[in-house]
Amino acid sequence: MDVGFIIDIMPEILEGFSTTVRLFLWSMLFSTPLGLALALMRLSPLGPFRWVAGFYGWLVRGIPLILIMFYVFFALPEFGEAFLLSPFWSAVAALSVWTASYQAEAIRSGVLAVDQGQFEAAEALGMTKLHYMRRIVLPQSVRIIVPPFTGNAINTLKQTSLATVITVPEMSLLTTRIISREFNALEPLLALAIIYLALTTVLVFAQQGLERAFRLKA
Amino acid sequence: MAPLDNVAPLVKVEGLTKSFGDNQILNGIDLEVAAGEVVSIIGPSGSGKTTILRCLNLLERPDGGRIEIDGQMLCEDGANGRINFAGKSEIRKIREEVGMVFQRFNLFPHMTALENVVEAPMAVKGADKAVAKARALELLDSVGLSHRADHYPLQMSGGQQQRVAIARALAMDPAVMLFDEVTSAVDPELAGEILLVMKQLAEQGMTMIVVTHEMGFAADVSDRVLFIDHGLVIEQGKASQVLGSPQQDRTKAFLKAVLERTPMAEENADSPPVETEESWGTGAGVDESEQIASLESEVARLRQELDAATTTDEPTTDEPTESGE
Ligand SMILES: Nc1ncnc2c1ncn2[C@@H]1O[C@H](COP(=O)(O)OP(=O)(O)O)[C@@H](O)[C@H]1O
Ligand SMILES: [Mg+2]
Repeated sequence: MDVGFIIDIMPEILEGFSTTVRLFLWSMLFSTPLGLALALMRLSPLGPFRWVAGFYGWLVRGIPLILIMFYVFFALPEFGEAFLLSPFWSAVAALSVWTASYQAEAIRSGVLAVDQGQFEAAEALGMTKLHYMRRIVLPQSVRIIVPPFTGNAINTLKQTSLATVITVPEMSLLTTRIISREFNALEPLLALAIIYLALTTVLVFAQQGLERAFRLKA
Repeated sequence: MAPLDNVAPLVKVEGLTKSFGDNQILNGIDLEVAAGEVVSIIGPSGSGKTTILRCLNLLERPDGGRIEIDGQMLCEDGANGRINFAGKSEIRKIREEVGMVFQRFNLFPHMTALENVVEAPMAVKGADKAVAKARALELLDSVGLSHRADHYPLQMSGGQQQRVAIARALAMDPAVMLFDEVTSAVDPELAGEILLVMKQLAEQGMTMIVVTHEMGFAADVSDRVLFIDHGLVIEQGKASQVLGSPQQDRTKAFLKAVLERTPMAEENADSPPVETEESWGTGAGVDESEQIASLESEVARLRQELDAATTTDEPTTDEPTESGE
């Protein structure tokens, strides 16, 4: 293994760094509210909401992400010009749809973990559901949601590499280009792994910070 | 405070029924509570006491019967045997009138004592923040906890948490307060501080329905005691009657069992007084540990009376006095 070679190719791989990070951040930005909405729909007393959200989860979690990417990029434009997205935004759309299905489960299980007595105390005080979900239930579920939520985020970060298949110039795509040009896989793959590890490590620390921030004062 | 005959009852329950699956829990409960009256509900575990209270603010939806609170109808039997409920927003309006204190406190753990108390008045009644806060501090003071306003629930003892829960319910200015075995989840030596707050509340004229196993409290504070078994009111009357000279065998058996299981009067006789560091807002000048001790000696007195009553083998009927099956 040639450490000097790793250092040489780092800058070229890092040209895709910002694309990877932007894929990740946009996907989190869209998937979080979508996941929250899906979670609340699945918890709704209204059947149709539950069914739609349940169907969404069953469908999206039941097929590979690569298929969703292909679908958004290649198949969706057949429904009209408006659906013709750039590779980057196609990847963001696919990652958002995919991530939301998992975040919905994380959020839903967090809400279910809140003591029934909390709902009852809030209702007995005459609060509306909207109010107590926002002020009483969700703030308490955040603590429970953080670990699975960041787990999903770490997965999404790694899965941005799949955007390679629809030609988004993120880090993995640039790395495969180096590999085919240099006829050498060992160092480029190692360099790539180091960068992903650094990014996921940041998320692990973020998780620990969030867990500390939402710990109940005792 | 004695109920006034010429005033419509504040709480009016008629023929309340409720079952869970095949389990019929309430078999037609009738209950009227006048403004200012304190009613204690006693009865064996599983007899339906909690369910009655939960029906009164529709945390549980009854199967049949009629509930009216402060002139507002919560539910009533409609045509074709179906029960009709008030609309969502009417139910919320009535819930503002009905304060509830739970066995396990159910304080909001992510909020301080003060935040727990101001949340509902601000959210539900649209109270001004400064006004709500001042009132909350007043209430925390009245339950002896002004020095705990900025503490989180998990930083407080069970007795303190339950007193915050009482303040939280009072902050809505309810017409009636429901208490569901509010001392049974706290250490026995902390029960007294909760009971004292409730006693002060009763003296201030609050209408209260109290499910309790604290016979001393029921005897000392309530105007009326209801004995419930299998979802039926078996016996009711003045506290001294029901607890001192019960008429029904089931009531006697229950009271005997309860009092034998609560030897607290003797055990606590020479234990140190409860939390004297705290400043009590109300009841100034009265030593609260003295008051608690008097509640406890009430239990001892009742046990003696009861023993006397149950050993004299006078014939009794087993028929419920009202709402027969
Ligand atoms: N949500 C529920 N589902 C099924 N059974 C219940 C439910 N709530 C209460 N019960 C049953 O109803 C009976 C009466 O309960 P409860 O009113 O809590 O009695 P008490 O407060 O007198 O001990 C108990 O047997 C209990 O198991
Ligand atoms: Mg109970």
